Amino acid sequence: MVSQPGDRLTATRRILRKPQFWFGLAVLAPLIVWYVWFAFSPIVRAFWMAVVEYQILRPEESPFVGLQHFRMLFEYKLFWVSIRNTLIYAAVFYAGMVPLALFVSACLTSVARGRSFYQFVIFLPVVVSLVAISLLFKMLMNPQLGQINQFLKALGIPPSQFLTSHESALYSVIGVDIWKALGFYVVILTAGMLNIPEEMYDAAKVDGAGIWQRFWRVTLPLLGHTLTLVSVLIVMHGLQVFTQVVVMPSQPGGPGNATYVLNLLVYNEAFTNLRFGFATATAFTLFLFVFLITVVQLRLLRPSWSY
Amino acid sequence: MQSKDSATTSSYQRAALIEQVRVAVVHAILLCIVFISVMPFVWMFFGSFKSYVELTAGESLLPQDWTVDNYRAIIFRANFPQAFWNSSLVSLIVTLSVLFTSTAAAYVFAKYRFWGKEQLFVVVLSTMMVPFAVVLVPLYVTIADIGLSNKLGGVIVPVLFSTFGIFLMRQFLEGIPSDLIDAGRIDGASEWWIFSRIIIPLSSAPMAALAVFTFLFNWDNFLWPLVVLTSPQTKTLPLVLAGLRSLYWERYDMWAAGSMLTVAPVMLLYAVAQKQFIRGITMTGLKA
Repeated sequence: MVSQPGDRLTATRRILRKPQFWFGLAVLAPLIVWYVWFAFSPIVRAFWMAVVEYQILRPEESPFVGLQHFRMLFEYKLFWVSIRNTLIYAAVFYAGMVPLALFVSACLTSVARGRSFYQFVIFLPVVVSLVAISLLFKMLMNPQLGQINQFLKALGIPPSQFLTSHESALYSVIGVDIWKALGFYVVILTAGMLNIPEEMYDAAKVDGAGIWQRFWRVTLPLLGHTLTLVSVLIVMHGLQVFTQVVVMPSQPGGPGNATYVLNLLVYNEAFTNLRFGFATATAFTLFLFVFLITVVQLRLLRPSWSY
Repeated sequence: MQSKDSATTSSYQRAALIEQVRVAVVHAILLCIVFISVMPFVWMFFGSFKSYVELTAGESLLPQDWTVDNYRAIIFRANFPQAFWNSSLVSLIVTLSVLFTSTAAAYVFAKYRFWGKEQLFVVVLSTMMVPFAVVLVPLYVTIADIGLSNKLGGVIVPVLFSTFGIFLMRQFLEGIPSDLIDAGRIDGASEWWIFSRIIIPLSSAPMAALAVFTFLFNWDNFLWPLVVLTSPQTKTLPLVLAGLRSLYWERYDMWAAGSMLTVAPVMLLYAVAQKQFIRGITMTGLKA
């Protein structure tokens, strides 16, 4: 009896597969159970919650209200205030972070000595607890006693009211966020820049390109994939701010509603006003922003090439 | 001929000089940024050892009279030890769980072939697209339904698995040659043996990065613990720290001491595992 080589191969494979089946099952079964329980079903339940008047004590009796929550939202002044603040926050955070992170990364890339030291220090604020940072800057930004105003005074720059004034509160929070998150994006961008082959720069130099031209014509285009990722992350970060606007102003979202953002509205509607359905409907508008802006960015920015 | 030679030498010298100036300017800029990054922490460190009067007078950076009264008050009156224990417990359990579940799931997703694998992976990944605010309320209802509200378990259970972790580890494990695993199987090794003796030792670098991220994220997390944990006995450090604002109204000395206590373990971890942090971020950044 001569067995076919093909037969023997499938037989061998089957034998090798059997233990894999049990191991795979042991890994995937808890994973699927957990994801269904704590990831998928909350998402599905969120869709349902947004269109019912959720009864906290008897959820199954919650009456269907359709799009009424969204209609209420459009007439809710605080909703428009939060949208405005959230979009300003994301836009200013983006406009400040992208050039600054690119600039610092370009500086880091162009020095060989001391790079890891600089990276070590610039990354420090990233690892430190956001609540601690918020408290710290709340102290530093005190208009009378704070160190920042004393520093500005020494430089001859007029002091600011920072968190206590309606005009400057939102921008103060953004400034702190940029200070804290800068290192994170710098590390990603620096790695991307160091990944660009040195020959590209040599070729540009031979063609007589200066530093500025090399940055615009070589670094930026070849950074494509990394830049897209960073850009998407920065927008998501800006749209989902929460902790700082709770901890830094004198009351969450204050002064007045100057730092009231969508995430805070969701939190307050849910756990202060106990309107679960309404809060979830609000969260979906945030989802819509995140989703739309991310899709547009991926369409516009993602390069079609790769190394 | 000679004049042309000296002209090139001098232009070389000039280029070298310009290069030196450029490098010096870049270092100066970077040092400014280093200063801005570090100064607030230095101020906080020294401030935590000052009395309230001295801190608000703000005359010198260094304390004139070093005092640990702030720390004593925080530790004995503000429930910090309990919060420290709660935060450590949550962060350690979640980190161990995420390390194990992510690596195991990533191994299966990277090296096994089964029906619907890619679809399952995409569905798992898609949960990353949804902002946390959307599931905030439904997840709270889920946790309350199983009796975990106001319990540390309510903070731990929703993060036992990490989509980011599975993604990161899979990226890495796809790069490991399958021959290595097949060789083990042919020698009769069990899947568990292969996983624990081949896969885990090989992926120690990304696992270290993932461990550091997970620990930090849970140590610093604010929104979800704020929703779940309501009584002083269960609160984690960020919650107790934020509570100092009302407990010690405008007492900057107390805030500084409280912040120092929260930040110190993280800074220590960072100083020890600096390489893993940076590597972890660049690994995800470049593969995406």
